[in-house]
Amino acid sequence: MTPKPDAAWIREVLERHERPLTLYATRLLGDVERARDVVQEAFLRLCDQLNSGKQERAALAERVDLWLLTVCRNLCHDLHRKESRMTPLEEERAQRAACATATPAEAAERRDDVARVLDTLERLPEKQREVLRLKFQHGLSYAEISRVTRESQGNVGWLLHVGLKSLREKLAQGEIQGAEA
Amino acid sequence: MSTRDETGMHDWSDDPRLTAYALGELGGEEARELEAQISGDEAAQALVAELRTLGEALEQGLAGESAPALKPEQWHAIEERLGAPTAPSAINRKSVAAAAGIGWRGWFAVAATVVGLGVGATFVLRPGERFGSLPAPAHESEELARQTDSRAYLERLRGLGYIGADPGEGGKPTPAELGVQLQSLGYAGGPGTPVPSGIAARSHRMARGKWTRVEGERDQEALRAIGYSGGDGEEPLMEQVFFDDLSEKTLQDLEQLGEGNREGYDPIVENPFRAAGRDPLSTFSVDVDTAAYSNLRRFLGEDRLPPADAVRIEELVNYFPYTYPAPTGEHPFSVDLEVGSCPWKQEHRLVRIGLQGRETLPEERRSSNLVFLLDVSGSMNSDDKLPLLKRALQMLVQELDERDRIAIVVYAGSSGLVLPPTSCDRSVDVHMALERLKAGGSTNGGAGIELAYEVAARNYIDGGINRVILATDGDFNVGVSDDGSLVRLIEEKAKTGVFLSVLGFGRGNLQDAKMEKLADKGNGNYAYIDSVLEAKKVLVEQMGATLETIAKDVKIQVEFNPREVQAWRLIGYENRLLAAQDFNDDTKDAGEIGAGHRVTALYEVVPVGVPFELPGVDPLKYQAPASATGEAFGGELLTVKFRYKRPEGERSTLLSETLVDEGADFQELSADTRWAASVAAFGMVLRGSAHVGEAGLPEVSRWALESAADDPGGYRAQFIGLVAKARELRGR
Repeated sequence: MTPKPDAAWIREVLERHERPLTLYATRLLGDVERARDVVQEAFLRLCDQLNSGKQERAALAERVDLWLLTVCRNLCHDLHRKESRMTPLEEERAQRAACATATPAEAAERRDDVARVLDTLERLPEKQREVLRLKFQHGLSYAEISRVTRESQGNVGWLLHVGLKSLREKLAQGEIQGAEA
Repeated sequence: MSTRDETGMHDWSDDPRLTAYALGELGGEEARELEAQISGDEAAQALVAELRTLGEALEQGLAGESAPALKPEQWHAIEERLGAPTAPSAINRKSVAAAAGIGWRGWFAVAATVVGLGVGATFVLRPGERFGSLPAPAHESEELARQTDSRAYLERLRGLGYIGADPGEGGKPTPAELGVQLQSLGYAGGPGTPVPSGIAARSHRMARGKWTRVEGERDQEALRAIGYSGGDGEEPLMEQVFFDDLSEKTLQDLEQLGEGNREGYDPIVENPFRAAGRDPLSTFSVDVDTAAYSNLRRFLGEDRLPPADAVRIEELVNYFPYTYPAPTGEHPFSVDLEVGSCPWKQEHRLVRIGLQGRETLPEERRSSNLVFLLDVSGSMNSDDKLPLLKRALQMLVQELDERDRIAIVVYAGSSGLVLPPTSCDRSVDVHMALERLKAGGSTNGGAGIELAYEVAARNYIDGGINRVILATDGDFNVGVSDDGSLVRLIEEKAKTGVFLSVLGFGRGNLQDAKMEKLADKGNGNYAYIDSVLEAKKVLVEQMGATLETIAKDVKIQVEFNPREVQAWRLIGYENRLLAAQDFNDDTKDAGEIGAGHRVTALYEVVPVGVPFELPGVDPLKYQAPASATGEAFGGELLTVKFRYKRPEGERSTLLSETLVDEGADFQELSADTRWAASVAAFGMVLRGSAHVGEAGLPEVSRWALESAADDPGGYRAQFIGLVAKARELRGR
């Protein structure tokens, strides 16, 4: 048998990306366990790609991060569809419901501004939230977000713009309410 | 130029560009331009600062979120799949845990930097070979990330929709095709396009299909090593070429062209040949759109070849008038069939199906209730957009009269009704409303389209034409709602009898795929307006057709006779294909035919007895082999069935025709069929189709010239000019 340098590489990719990917999938699914399954599946597919020789490692390695994000995203959406908790068109509502992760106790613990920003972020529509996370949590550019989400770059720009705008507005409102209280 | 609202101040909080700028997403020139615009504008500066602070807060907050790792058994499963069951060391796991949240974020930055280093270097190496001369990367992964070979590059091009997503059947694009595609993206030195070093020259070379000049000794050597010495030999496969400068940076540039050129085209996978024995049915929806043709004309006018996916062959073919017999019976359209030898493959047969919709006389025209929904966002502020749109509408209004009512809704940052429904004999009011239109603000179509439909519904004319006509240059952003809900809205409204037409304007931002989809869902048509002449053709000459639907949900199903037909291929209509069972399903939506519309569809048919192998399919064991007998051309070649509904109807009507092949030669076919074949061949050549055989632009030109005699309107002459232009561009 020839040595399998792929294995070492996969391990490295796994180490590097398992957490960001699991986090991303958790946000889409609202459930850590299923997110882990999705990430595992994404990596299994990566292995299959390599084993089948359909794609060479060099090809995959180029932006394996985006490849994995895209696969995870598709898997999450497939999962939603399968569980018929939503049709693709109702993504937004269903995902918003699924992603209400912060419990009141957690929310109470968060006192500083950053926490308030995060809380407010959770109240945005799913699509905006997703691109905001891809931008600020995963550090992707508009072009990269466009690749992962299959939205046009123009739309990515628009979603980020609208997301940040309504985030600002909601934060400002919160301040006023906070001052009154 | 800055756009301003009525108070004279630009509302930056509504402008996605400012957000992009604050997030460092604007390119050099655009960033400088925007800086100039906001210099001295304290509010805008404050907004930028605020956006950045907010971004930092988000980054900081999100980095602190707990990122769960996979479970050990999940790791194990993954490693097992690879056949390498060694578990990672505990130390490794720990260090990963410690670095989580920072390490992987940092990686993006490092990767980006390292990738940047490679820009401009030009290497041609054997696959798998590594660089020796670049600085050692900080980490093995970065090294790997840089090891992009051309396959990854092609994949990404495919992902971007610049290459058909069909590596198996479509064949690999040759360097020539790739060069053309790059060229069409402006890499061949289009005005104002940033050209990454080396790429323009290279794409020129590739476009010629020959390497005529190679800079640098190392390149020369590397080229020689893989048999690339510039001879006239076989064109080397992309796979053999390792482009560093065409890897990350180029792709980023291609993606970044998004800012200056974010035209969106859905990838088209060309219809393959299908075996008539196994797959005798071909089902598709009619399509009378012609936007791809005017878009193609625009590209060539700008000295660029269009990207393959912008070329929708059926739309090119349907652009031209054909003289099919007028319908006489009960049906709203006539059917005309013809078959003869296929010009690009003599032993194949070319089947032409022609539909001709009933014409309406001006006095029979139904009254219309038209609501124009006009995009007046800042991007519409150029001569080929809003001013052209205004002239187009003025021309249309002159053709309408007291039977017709027009309303105008505009949308930008906000939306509003600028012209309440007004009878067209009061054309002065309409003209004045048009005159007042000004472009400014960002795009938010969502509220606008709802308002437009509401206005249309309030003024609904029973038995009349009720239509919303959307005119825009591209991004039809819909604010908080998404594409899905927009499509749903349009579909719902179409059911109430208010249809949607879409007029596309301008360039660089054209969301072609989206607009086509919207018009499709709205029982409407999509036209691209690139000139006053096109505006006249669409809105005035074809006004009846553009506005008045005579048959809806028109579906075509062809059944091929396997005794005569070995294999068949539908040319074009890739995004109009239906499942065979959808044909009889009246709930399945399909295309509309307007008054005077013509629909032309072409099939390339492989007759029985001609040596032919379907790629990737073994001969069937249990099928009785069809034999080539003397009767092969005597029997029916195919039956074509049509289903349509009346504009207000719910149940479909069926009609069918059969076609017998009399063995006609291509030259014996009607000029219309030969013309349609020329246009289709042009599209195939531009798309880099695998099926076009030996045919090239010179052949297209010859076939077109031989069939252009009858040319009312001069459209065919113009086409011949476009073919010449394409030849010139390819020859460069």
